[in-house]
Amino acid sequence: MSEVRLDNVQGNILRGYRGGLRHVRHMMLAVADPAAARRFLAAASRGGSVDVPAITRAPHWGAADPPACFNIGLTHAGLRALGVAEAMLATFPREFVEGMAERAVKLGDIGDSAPANWPAPFDRPDRIHLVATGYANSPGTLDAMQAAASRAFDVLGVRDGRARTERDVLGSDRDGDNLPARRVFFGYADSIAQPRFAVDGHAGSSSTRPLQPLGTVLLGYPTQLEGVFFRVPLSDELGRDGAFNAFRVMAQDVSAFEAYLDDAGEALLRLEQAGGPPLLPVDAEASFDRPIDRLGALREAVAAQMCGRWRNGTPVAVSPFHPLPAGSRKAFNDFDYRGATTCPAGAHIRRVNPRDGMIVQRNANYARQLVRRGTPYGPDFDAAQPDDRERGLLGNFLCASLGAQYEAVMSDWLNLGLSNPDVTGINDPLIGTNTPEMSVFDLRLADGLYHHLRGFPRFVTTRGGSYTFLPSLAAIDYLAALPG
Amino acid sequence: MADGGWLDRFVDSLPTRGWFKFISNHLVVPLWAWREPTPRLPGGPRPATAPGDGLQRMMNLIMPLKEKTPIGRARVAVAIGQNLDALYTGLDNVGTIHFARFVIVDNNLCMMSVYDGDFDSYVRDFIVSIGNVFDAVLQFIEDADDVVPTRRNVEKFVAWVHARDVFQLPDFATDLFALQAAARRPSADGSPRPLTALPRAVILQLRANRNVSLGSGFRGYAGFSAAQIRQRLGIGW
Ligand code: HEM
Repeated sequence: MSEVRLDNVQGNILRGYRGGLRHVRHMMLAVADPAAARRFLAAASRGGSVDVPAITRAPHWGAADPPACFNIGLTHAGLRALGVAEAMLATFPREFVEGMAERAVKLGDIGDSAPANWPAPFDRPDRIHLVATGYANSPGTLDAMQAAASRAFDVLGVRDGRARTERDVLGSDRDGDNLPARRVFFGYADSIAQPRFAVDGHAGSSSTRPLQPLGTVLLGYPTQLEGVFFRVPLSDELGRDGAFNAFRVMAQDVSAFEAYLDDAGEALLRLEQAGGPPLLPVDAEASFDRPIDRLGALREAVAAQMCGRWRNGTPVAVSPFHPLPAGSRKAFNDFDYRGATTCPAGAHIRRVNPRDGMIVQRNANYARQLVRRGTPYGPDFDAAQPDDRERGLLGNFLCASLGAQYEAVMSDWLNLGLSNPDVTGINDPLIGTNTPEMSVFDLRLADGLYHHLRGFPRFVTTRGGSYTFLPSLAAIDYLAALPG
Repeated sequence: MADGGWLDRFVDSLPTRGWFKFISNHLVVPLWAWREPTPRLPGGPRPATAPGDGLQRMMNLIMPLKEKTPIGRARVAVAIGQNLDALYTGLDNVGTIHFARFVIVDNNLCMMSVYDGDFDSYVRDFIVSIGNVFDAVLQFIEDADDVVPTRRNVEKFVAWVHARDVFQLPDFATDLFALQAAARRPSADGSPRPLTALPRAVILQLRANRNVSLGSGFRGYAGFSAAQIRQRLGIGW
């Protein structure tokens, strides 16, 4: 495989920053003055400017992590606004040209999630030209980045154009903060599974999971599909080392989720008390990582099976009846679904990455992998005082082909369940377009038989998003030098 | 409608009169088409909102032959025949295909198939599975040189197939208006069109898309994927 030039790759593609940097801000920018925008890009690529944040690159940082990181993605409209010629614009794949809002039906963005219901700035997708993302440990640093961006671009969707520092703002807010213990709302540990690349210093490199070819996420390299290359946009030279990203703002109805777990737990308790088959073996609760009663354990088991992981990250495929003591990320990622797995086929993580498990599309194992960079947004949730304020996940799904990876996962696996005949026609329980009348999820009981869980609503609603191209540094320099 | 008056009877008989047909086809329809530009609509099923609609979707791919002679037709017939085993193994590996067959109609090679799920994924999985075999067939097809080898031209090949898969008239006839409006955007004014405009809309669309599928087709056991049927028959998915 050809060697990758890490200093040509934006830093957030092969590595996440969440370990060290707590706050994230996604800034939606519009090009008002192309010359000013290009000057900003030139300075951001060069670095060393006091006025413009430098783009973070991929090479190993050594001992000291930088105090802040900054990366950019461009929409197709943004590339045009910067002055990219029509012939070059035509080299981009169709789904990127059309943009996320146009692909709504395929992505399951219907009903409440339809683009027509997205708040500003996502109500006008054509206006979004750049998505700039800042990562820092203090909101003040993010404010400074935004102030810098506002001198070169229009900052969309923020009240009176000013940055906000409070985390609990609603609607147009795109600030994310780490929750304690790398949790996301709904209470699960996140950032455990990522595709693993043979790149020096890459986070996943200590795992024993199979290595993925770089073409899984970077353009211009061999992909997981034998002999298949995705088209490199712009030119072989300029497009190489870039990636595509699906940025999604996903609101999570935590109250509804916890309330549903209450109902399901109680129903399962009544069922076993009436002599029905139990979900967990007798006394499974004694093996939990903390004191818990039977009802609590059943409730947690429902949450675990819907996701495919217990809330502390333990894979259900490894430990079907209780979570293991919070282990290392590596230990929680070294498993697969070969043979008779104990993880239900409908579980979120088995749908979106079937690993080595048998699937209908025999060539597709590992071919639709996504690099995930997500951060929770909105106020903390207090289970003792449930409220309905907007909170959720700012998700970034990075890949070399939005069509072949992100969209294929969303349409065929998440929403349609096509990978396994046992769940075909059934939506993802955690994030699918479910209705209480139609929803169903097959829980795997202690005896290996299944129990239909019904009546759950949709827990996740799309509030906006954008398909972006994460250009290489060479491509940023090219954009910065465009005439006109 | 006809209440028996001579004028009604005359008007009703118009469509059968040769001179009237001639004027309609050569003057009236082109004039309409000029006044009401009707873009060619892309082929294949449209993304489905209900999970059941995402299963058993129809492909009617029409690929004009380069050589429109008995020899040309024989060439492609032989190319398919020689690769039949490989093609069928590949189709099996895609995993989501119910049926597929190759047919020569006039000077076109047609691939008719029934598959589950997203169109783009289907075509992409098809390339991964049998791209190299299909490349050998594509050398006899018009305007296909640009998409060979398919594994290096995935995006182009998906678009190429999309353009040659025939347009599927909506199952609910009036849905055609919305599709036409979307295709005409941004000039579409969005105002609802009267039902009486439907026959004209169909005529104009059939002028733009010469070959169409009349609706999405009949399904003898709707709502089941190929893998679900195999699983239930106990023949392994
Ligand atoms: C608010 C919405 C979502 C929530 C709460 C959520 C939650 C989770 C959780 C808790 C995990 C397990 C953590 C891990 O394995 O690292 C996970 C994994 C994953 N999720 Fe989601 N998710 C959401 C949306 C999505 C979407 C839209 C996709 C789109 C394709 C997706 C794709 C994945 C993938 C690929 C994995 C890794 C699975 C693996 O490799 O084993 N998720 N998600």
